[in-house]
Amino acid sequence: MRTRVGFLPLMVGAFAIFCFFALWHVASTTTTAALFFPTPIEVLRYFFVSMTQKIGKYTLWMHTLHSLRRVAVGFGLSSLTGIIVGVAMGYSKTINAAIRPLFNIIRPIPGLAWIPMAILWFGIGETTKYFIIFMGGFANVVLNSYDGTSKADPTLIKAAQLLGANDVQVFFRIILPSATPYIFAGLQVSLSTSWMAVLAAEMISSYEGAGWIINMGMQTGNTLMILTGMVAIAIVGFLLANIMRVVERSLCSWTIRGT
Amino acid sequence: MKLKENYTLISALSLTCFLLIWIVITDVLHVFPAYALPSPILAVKTFFLKLVQKSPDGSTLLVHIAASLQVALSGYLLGAIIGIPLGILMAWYKPVDMFVKPIFDLVRPIPPIGWVPIMMLTLGIGLKAKAMVIFVSAVIPCIINAYSGIKQTSLVHINVAKTFGASNVEILRTVAIPTAMPMIFTGLRVSLGVAWMTLVAAELIAATKGLGYMLQIARTIGRPDIIIVGMLVIAGVGAILTGALEWFEKKFIRR
Repeated sequence: MRTRVGFLPLMVGAFAIFCFFALWHVASTTTTAALFFPTPIEVLRYFFVSMTQKIGKYTLWMHTLHSLRRVAVGFGLSSLTGIIVGVAMGYSKTINAAIRPLFNIIRPIPGLAWIPMAILWFGIGETTKYFIIFMGGFANVVLNSYDGTSKADPTLIKAAQLLGANDVQVFFRIILPSATPYIFAGLQVSLSTSWMAVLAAEMISSYEGAGWIINMGMQTGNTLMILTGMVAIAIVGFLLANIMRVVERSLCSWTIRGT
Repeated sequence: MKLKENYTLISALSLTCFLLIWIVITDVLHVFPAYALPSPILAVKTFFLKLVQKSPDGSTLLVHIAASLQVALSGYLLGAIIGIPLGILMAWYKPVDMFVKPIFDLVRPIPPIGWVPIMMLTLGIGLKAKAMVIFVSAVIPCIINAYSGIKQTSLVHINVAKTFGASNVEILRTVAIPTAMPMIFTGLRVSLGVAWMTLVAAELIAATKGLGYMLQIARTIGRPDIIIVGMLVIAGVGAILTGALEWFEKKFIRR
């Protein structure tokens, strides 16, 4: 379903964005903030320049790709284990009873609070970052997978059993499909959290990545570098937030959640 | 009834197993070096010691908690006070929506952590910068949920109110906002979680007090027992805050 964007909202929207940048421009040229705060034009120029020129060891592209690679590994692992654990908990009450108390201890710990422990355990290498991203998304995926699995309609399950479906068939034909929308809701949140976790991990210890750029900008007092990093971060954040929606739409077309 | 007792038994058993294994691999077998994993007994001891002891990071546990809470709550409340009305205005008045939405969409995809460096540079290392980062993290879920809450208002209800001659503001006040209340509280809950997480991260990166700072110091001097205590306290305080909000919600919303 396409929503037509009218002419007026488009104009007002463009005007609003123009106002935003104009205000920024004026503020950063006329006030004392100009001493250390760059204008939007400078940021834009630096953004394009740093696509080919290196900041630190890599270009902006490579920094972003490094961050994305970490997200891919960490998010992949946390989704996989999270879905397995969550579905198992939802499917079997015994497994739920065994895992639930441990899970309830871990769940309220914010993913980013694992950073110091992770550094002690795994040093400052890649494993630490994967672990932090993993912890950032894990709890949410488990919760949502559990919700989806345990909410499978008992009438449908009984009907299938009545028609002679065995446990495996019931699981793959009824329980898993009905859990899929929930699982995707979990994955979507977890992907955004992963992006946040990788930034935090890179800000605390790393030599490359989008988080490194903004942290280095902070260390050296280079606002231009920070804002350029933030532009890249925002673009990736936007893409990640929407990529799950597209995948979801193609995988479970029978229930489209409101956008 | 019998079955339920069984499950409780399993839960208790798994928890005891977990603790036992933890004690065995640390205190008895010393599988991990002492700087990597402390025994749970040591962690409990450290917790009580830290309540009165200032070393190694200069403040007792309660002072750290108070410092963190001060930053988190000031940013969070500011986010709620600005975010909820803004979300409501955006959903109810079309021109506001058209003007604010594009700017909002421009800023939204940046994770709260991404704001830390620029806030630190412009506002300094103190409370203001961190409260602003928390504000950014809290305001976004508040706006989104208030917005979609108001948008959910049934058109039939609005039309009934119009038929009875209610003005636009009256409809907003008596029909739309009550409809949106549960969603608004969902937003408050989500943003509380995000705010608390952001706070810890912000304190890890730059602070002189607070729970995140305590974790960071404990890591640099290799005191995993303090890290464990810190993580559990963070989790506990987060859970208490969420619980308080849920209690407040139950009091406030009659379903």
